[in-house]
Amino acid sequence: MSAAPENLPRPLTPGMPPPVLPMADAAPAIPFLEIEALRAQQFIPAAKEALGAMIAEQGRDRLTRPVFNWAGRNSLFPLHWGLACCAIEFAAAFGARWDAERFGVVPRSSPRQCDLMIVNGTVTWKVAHKLVTLYEQMPEPKWVIAMGNCATGGGPFRTAYSVVPGVDKLVPVDLYIAGCPPRPEAMLDGILKLEQLIRERKE
Amino acid sequence: MAAEEWAQELARHLGDRMISLTPFARTLGRVKFRPEAAREIFRAVHDDLGFDHLSMVGGIDWVDRREVIYTLWSDRRVAYLFLSADLVGEAPHIETASAVWPGANWHERETWELVGIQFDHHPDLRHLLMPDGYAFNPLLRSFKLHEPEELEVKTRHV
Ligand code: SF4
Repeated sequence: MSAAPENLPRPLTPGMPPPVLPMADAAPAIPFLEIEALRAQQFIPAAKEALGAMIAEQGRDRLTRPVFNWAGRNSLFPLHWGLACCAIEFAAAFGARWDAERFGVVPRSSPRQCDLMIVNGTVTWKVAHKLVTLYEQMPEPKWVIAMGNCATGGGPFRTAYSVVPGVDKLVPVDLYIAGCPPRPEAMLDGILKLEQLIRERKE
Repeated sequence: MAAEEWAQELARHLGDRMISLTPFARTLGRVKFRPEAAREIFRAVHDDLGFDHLSMVGGIDWVDRREVIYTLWSDRRVAYLFLSADLVGEAPHIETASAVWPGANWHERETWELVGIQFDHHPDLRHLLMPDGYAFNPLLRSFKLHEPEELEVKTRHV
């Protein structure tokens, strides 16, 4: 293999001086780019200094929390699962007619990629510890919506021998959606209310 | 097949292990047998009488006794047959049918956990519908509807 032609820029390597573009000599300099580069050189340290001073003054959380809240509310990824009949409405909400994806809500099949668990159906004692395991596998920050009467309080099966009377016995719930089942509109309303909650989150 | 012929055939194969034969609509009847002889009864019904499919195992709580019921189907006879046995006492138990019909396995697990009938020599007698460690037999008549909190206490270690 022959040596690389000399007029090509060297690849950037840490510890080496930046490459000199061949056209800097040949072609006339582009003043706009140079000015921008100069500005950036001055701006970055100045911005760093100003940001450092603001963080020292107000605390890191005050500054970053709104950014995180904004990002969190705009991309809620619910866990893609179904426990009982409410799951049908859950599925319908992501279908063509109600299209929940326009709110940035995309169901994911792995709890590691989720920050929202929508408990859509009857929770039995048999499935209870699997639900808790899935919840614990989700990365922080995470939210839980209890969808329908069953997840809220046991619903029609409250006194049954096999049903957990409300999923809040197992995991902390942020929002309850009433209905048996709730219509997809109600589910979308719940998601928007949760986004409101996230936007106002302080700690 | 005439009813007497069928009764005679049953009596020939099952002998005195059979207690009674009661007619039942659209089936070959209900055979009540002695639970001690369960293993021989299952073998005879499967091998000699040709009931090769076990549709269902179930249990009933009659308060003074518990009854275990087997629903059988025969492809050769194109007919159903019910087997049942009365189990008395505090800890009712009967021989497993899963050695003869392997499909009995899960049915017997369900009957064991819901009605509390022990199946001897069952290969894998675990909870089926309830979590492990569940402390009740919910289909017994002595089982009262619990307040949810009470159930929660009993199943907390799950
Ligand atoms: S709330 Fe109603 S629709 Fe939803 S899972 Fe329970 S019974 Fe089914």
